[in-house]
Amino acid sequence: MRIVFLLALLGGAVFYTYIAFTDLGFLTRTGRLGPGFFPRIVGLGIIVMTLWAIFDALGQRRTAAAADHVTDELEDARWRDFLLLVALVIGYAVLIRLFGGWISTILYLGVALSLLNPGQLKQNLLVATLFPSGVYLLFDRVLNANMPPALINLPF
Amino acid sequence: MDIFSDLMMGLSIAITPINLAYLLVGAMVGMIVGVIPGFGPSAGLAILLPLTFGMDPVGAIVMLAAIYYGAMYGGTITSILLNTPGESATVASTFDGYPLAKQGRAGPALVMQAVASFVGGTVGVILITILAPMFSQVSRSFGPPEYFLLAMMGMLTLIVMIGANWKLGVISALIGFALGTVGVDLETGQSRYTFGSAELIGGIYFIPIAIGLFGLGELLYAFYTGMHRTGSGGLVQYDKESRFWPTAQDFISTRWTMVRGSILGFVVGVIPGAGATIASLMAYSTERSLSKNPENFGKGEMAGLVAPETANNAASSGAMIPLLTLGIPGSASTAVLLAAFLLWGLRPGPLFMGQNPELAWGLIASMYLGNMVLLAISIFAIPLFVQIIKVPYRILGPCIVVICALGTFTVHASFVEMWLMVAAGIVGFFMRLYGFSPAALVLALVLGPLAEEALRQTMTISRGSFGIFLDRPASVWIIIVTIALLIILPLIGRIGARAKANKATGH
Amino acid sequence: MTLQTGPITARVKLGVLGMALAAPLAFAGAATAQSYPDAGETLDWTIAFGPGGGNDIMARTIVDILAKYDLYPGEIAVENRAGGSGAVGWGYLFAQDGSGYGISTTSGSFVTTPLQADTPWQPADFTPVALLATDDLVLVVNGSSDIQDIGQFIDYAKANPITIAGTGTVNVDFIVPTLFAQAAGFEFEYVSFNSMADQTTALLSDSVDAMVGNPGEILGLIDSGDLRALVYSGASTPAALGDVPTMGDVGHDIGVSMPRGLILAPNAPAEAQAFWIETMKRVVETPEWAAYIENNTLTPTIVYGEDFRTFLTRTQNGFAEVLRSVGAIQ
Repeated sequence: MRIVFLLALLGGAVFYTYIAFTDLGFLTRTGRLGPGFFPRIVGLGIIVMTLWAIFDALGQRRTAAAADHVTDELEDARWRDFLLLVALVIGYAVLIRLFGGWISTILYLGVALSLLNPGQLKQNLLVATLFPSGVYLLFDRVLNANMPPALINLPF
Repeated sequence: MDIFSDLMMGLSIAITPINLAYLLVGAMVGMIVGVIPGFGPSAGLAILLPLTFGMDPVGAIVMLAAIYYGAMYGGTITSILLNTPGESATVASTFDGYPLAKQGRAGPALVMQAVASFVGGTVGVILITILAPMFSQVSRSFGPPEYFLLAMMGMLTLIVMIGANWKLGVISALIGFALGTVGVDLETGQSRYTFGSAELIGGIYFIPIAIGLFGLGELLYAFYTGMHRTGSGGLVQYDKESRFWPTAQDFISTRWTMVRGSILGFVVGVIPGAGATIASLMAYSTERSLSKNPENFGKGEMAGLVAPETANNAASSGAMIPLLTLGIPGSASTAVLLAAFLLWGLRPGPLFMGQNPELAWGLIASMYLGNMVLLAISIFAIPLFVQIIKVPYRILGPCIVVICALGTFTVHASFVEMWLMVAAGIVGFFMRLYGFSPAALVLALVLGPLAEEALRQTMTISRGSFGIFLDRPASVWIIIVTIALLIILPLIGRIGARAKANKATGH
Repeated sequence: MTLQTGPITARVKLGVLGMALAAPLAFAGAATAQSYPDAGETLDWTIAFGPGGGNDIMARTIVDILAKYDLYPGEIAVENRAGGSGAVGWGYLFAQDGSGYGISTTSGSFVTTPLQADTPWQPADFTPVALLATDDLVLVVNGSSDIQDIGQFIDYAKANPITIAGTGTVNVDFIVPTLFAQAAGFEFEYVSFNSMADQTTALLSDSVDAMVGNPGEILGLIDSGDLRALVYSGASTPAALGDVPTMGDVGHDIGVSMPRGLILAPNAPAEAQAFWIETMKRVVETPEWAAYIENNTLTPTIVYGEDFRTFLTRTQNGFAEVLRSVGAIQ
């Protein structure tokens, strides 16, 4: 995974640097440092450093490969939890876009808590209704901050 | 300029009931944020920034500053009771704090850390009061060349102090610089990396990135490490009735430790890029090398808890100096504080204290009050914080997501920024997992545009000659100080690392 | 010490969750001569920038005056729709084509953002109500400088390579000194900064020779003698600047200003336009408006209706020409 992350980073850096060299000038027409000056240096810097880090990671993997198998099962569980939370967060963001701040928070917390804290129905229901209402009151009523507007208005 | 009358004027502003209320709320919230593992001042400030909308600027800044230094108080409670630092600046506090708690001296340890924090914080504010006006005078001779050099100094110091993972630290900083180039180029007006999107013309906004990296990213990491599965089982119980208060001996034996920790912490805090974590480790190792019984360190020595605690609080105060007098943040959390100032239309810098005396001195005066309030809270509200520690992470976690998402949205009422926060959170998790430095990224995102602009301004002024950096006395001084720091800091950092290693193998 | 500590006016927030971004309202057919303004319709007031900025302060000043003098019968929902230097907010208003209930205030970016970015709208697309004031600039040097007046400055600039600082490039800070230098016959290097505070710091540290800025933001430093005002770009010098001459006074008039005005959505009904022109005529008579003009050192320049559209087009063409000549835009 580390290698994958570094490679993704490298891909981004190459794209960034490519634009810096093709679209952005190193100097302006009047001979000053142009908009491409800094991006070119930064882009090349990321590419060089990321390649270095990739070589380091490849080296480490060869030495560490043997020890890896022991923790595989734990490792899987960890990634499962991570992906579950990522899915919840993305789902929540989509809900906010559709139904606005308050209702989507109740829906999201209801789902999230029933998955993460199963069997505690009363506790979960309490948190999933009281917390969003508290946040809504604080942001929208007390602080007058912008709450996300709903794209679809529910009939309540 | 009479410092005392300025301070009195500031006090008259800070002491109004409404500002006192903001101060109390900020201190309380800051401590709570500090208590939650993984969440330090940067995350707390970024997430809670929207809370200040609708306040007047003085109240808002007072509250945000209270969150900032309040988090330093709260972070230690879990270090002592759970052996889990609330944030990186309180790692050193676990070395002797947890052993003390296990010996049944949790009460004295908690009280002494509060006293130490109070001393560090208060000495820090006294030094701010004296030094900030002087710094403002000095920094009036700073122009673009000096700003470029100071920004570079901050980044170099930060990277040097990262230590073993410095390559990944450099990459993190460069990513921050790269993100900072998005938007309209100030000098030519040309759009960079906007791909025709109107949302990106103004650049990638800093707050969603900070909330994503420090808030959501830390949360994802906590889930990855299984924090939501374990309860707070390792929590050391403490006795509220007997042996709660420290003995006179505790105070007498650590009185010089507090003085040394305060001054050392403050000085380190002033250096851009260093900050509270480094200050606390340095103070710990200094104290051990000066101690008559260094072998007790790591086994529950009171001085080993007091030293890092005074130092990290003094360092948070010290970091306010470059922020207020130069407008240059030295750490991720002061970068968030700067963003808050800017959101309020306030641009800290050499002219700031002269042009906004009510705000600047109101803020400084509020810090005196804030430290007193925090001393009281952190002694008498300990049972409350223990309750918070007991809330399982599997319930706390989803609620933090809500605050991150809605908090991001409220800043600009932007769905795009909310998605940006989610993306930054996922990237932040991988950065955390693989040893990158989110703090370096965030600091670079703020300092990058500043450095680029300053360099290009300098080159325009000097008509392309780098000689300007050697022509201006102020520039030469900054170069000398930077070189000195780059030589000295790694040496001291190695002492700090040794302190950590000794502790790990010590028993 | 003027604008900087001004409190952010409490949010007037009447329309709540129902105001969906994606539901541009179409009133064109429904509006009839007698029905404007319909007290049952909520006025959707867009501020294209965040709280606390110049545009925000102006919009909220007008809304406060409307409320105080009871000049608008219905509800007014004020929303900050910031992003893309105004592109987002004015784009939102642009989407309400034909409505008489979408309204917004303009500032300098209204002219410059379309020059920089590929916005679907141009300033002339909107229904003009009124130009209410203009932002003009003052040229200053360090108070410790040997240059005492604008004559000496021009002589110095002709003899030496000089630098002038300003905020940003694609805006009036760059245009004004460029046109003035052309008129007066000197050359200079323009150094762009991110904010007034940054460029002031640069001038006070003797890093640049001079700078231009909105007088309201640097009045304190001019009064204290830290900065010395040399010349003003507007038609008449504000009282606060004393006897500083205008560019016209010294024979190098440039005729460029940043428009602060009021606009409705494109193709708004004629009654709506007429209503708002009449209303603004009353707004500018109030003491609150006079105080706003004075506190922000604006030049009161009032032009109504189609004349405002002409003014916008002329300003934009003037800007585009200068910016194109130096390569800042294509």
